[in-house]
Amino acid sequence: MTQHLTREQIAECLISGAGASAHANECAACRAEMARFESALTEFRGAVRHFSGLAGRSSSPVGSQIVWTTTPARGMYSGNEIKAGMSSLLVNAALVTLLLIVGMAKPVEQTLTKIIFLTAPDLRTLKPKPETTKGGGSGAQNSEATKGKLPKSAPRQFMPPVQPIDQPKLSLNPTILAPDLPNISSQTYGDPLGAVGLPSSGLGPGSGIGPGKGPGFGPGDRGGFGGDVYRPGGGVTAPIALIKPEPEYSEEARKSKWQGSVTLQIVVDEAGFPKNIQVTKPLGMGLDEKAKEAVMKWRFKPGMKDGKPVPVIATIEVNFRLL
Amino acid sequence: MDRNLVSEAAMPEETCSEGIADFDSLVDLHRPRIFRFILASLRDPETAENLTQDCFVKAYKARAQFRGESRLGTWLMQIAANLVRDHHNSGRFKFWRRSLRSHVDLNDACDWVPDQQRSPEAIASAKEQVRAIWNAAADLSERQRTVFLLRFVEDMELLEIAAVTGMKEGTVKAHLFRALQAVRAKLEEPK
Repeated sequence: MTQHLTREQIAECLISGAGASAHANECAACRAEMARFESALTEFRGAVRHFSGLAGRSSSPVGSQIVWTTTPARGMYSGNEIKAGMSSLLVNAALVTLLLIVGMAKPVEQTLTKIIFLTAPDLRTLKPKPETTKGGGSGAQNSEATKGKLPKSAPRQFMPPVQPIDQPKLSLNPTILAPDLPNISSQTYGDPLGAVGLPSSGLGPGSGIGPGKGPGFGPGDRGGFGGDVYRPGGGVTAPIALIKPEPEYSEEARKSKWQGSVTLQIVVDEAGFPKNIQVTKPLGMGLDEKAKEAVMKWRFKPGMKDGKPVPVIATIEVNFRLL
Repeated sequence: MDRNLVSEAAMPEETCSEGIADFDSLVDLHRPRIFRFILASLRDPETAENLTQDCFVKAYKARAQFRGESRLGTWLMQIAANLVRDHHNSGRFKFWRRSLRSHVDLNDACDWVPDQQRSPEAIASAKEQVRAIWNAAADLSERQRTVFLLRFVEDMELLEIAAVTGMKEGTVKAHLFRALQAVRAKLEEPK
């Protein structure tokens, strides 16, 4: 028995369509192999023909007469391509020529070459507007703050007490950044202790009430009352000293056995540091300076207003006693 | 065998050359084959319809040049093969080929298997085979696909294929051989 057919030989048989070779006629394995491949190709042929029949049927239904026109397809211009192209060229050429002729005409050229000088206006005579700094006070009005009720105090100022405003877009009660202060009942906003007059919120350029630059009441450029700081009371808690190093005795006072107490006024800032230490009741003998030095090292829990730390003014008495 | 093939094969040579005169019947006779070949080559029924139409328009215009050296079917198939090649080389086809590969093929080959009251297993296996060959044919080069389709779908002789494609018989054979190898490799590929 001869060798089995190789793949190449099987392919050869299928290509030439000569049918199985002598070996294949004898060998069942080779015959089966060929038949398998051939049947796959036959399936493929059947499938393609079936599909083609389906696709062809969709465009030309079976049973109806196929109308087949054998008129040769014509171009878009029905044979007028050259004519259309030439006329288009002529129209375009005419337009370009016209533009060139107009452009080269003397009056047009003169107009185009005419130089017009543009003089920049001198702006030096106009002084820049003075910048209004938003800070504490009252938007720099013409008079002192007149008598009126203080606006409510709030942790943030959205609406400064400027008066009067005609038909605001979104009406908000004006507020100032200050502790709750004794207030009066009035139609207008102003200083409860101010003079009666035309409504004004004071001379200060800020958004508060009074002469300051800030959004508070009174002088100063931040919130609060009467300066930049709050005072304990009216919703403001007093600062609590956490670290209190003892003051040293001055040599001079020790020798002369000098005793007593120094009263200091400080501002405890939001971080709990003492600021602006001022001696309100001095003792002398260098003890005032020693007291200041000691208080400088003190650390506080800052005073709070509405849960937020605020700078609060505090008074401290430092006692000096000799044992 | 297909009715059209029978009728064309039965048609004597001299009638073929005279058939030009009766162009409508010529179209009726050859349209299914031409359409099938173009459809299988391009896999787009709409383009196949257009190119089939183009093929007959070209044939109508050039009917005077037909010398009657080959059969009318071969001549028409030659025009169709040229059209397919031109379309293949045009950028438009490249785009569609890309989109066909990247998207799900709507004309999935396995849907075409005719249901001839066979068992579901037989149909399933036939579908598998058809899909494998269809995918293999998609990966063939344009020349290989053309000769493969002409030989195994249109049942054309090697000499006839040589006449249609303008290649020598040996070249046709070599292309067919490579095409068959590729198809067979795909058929035996484990799923």
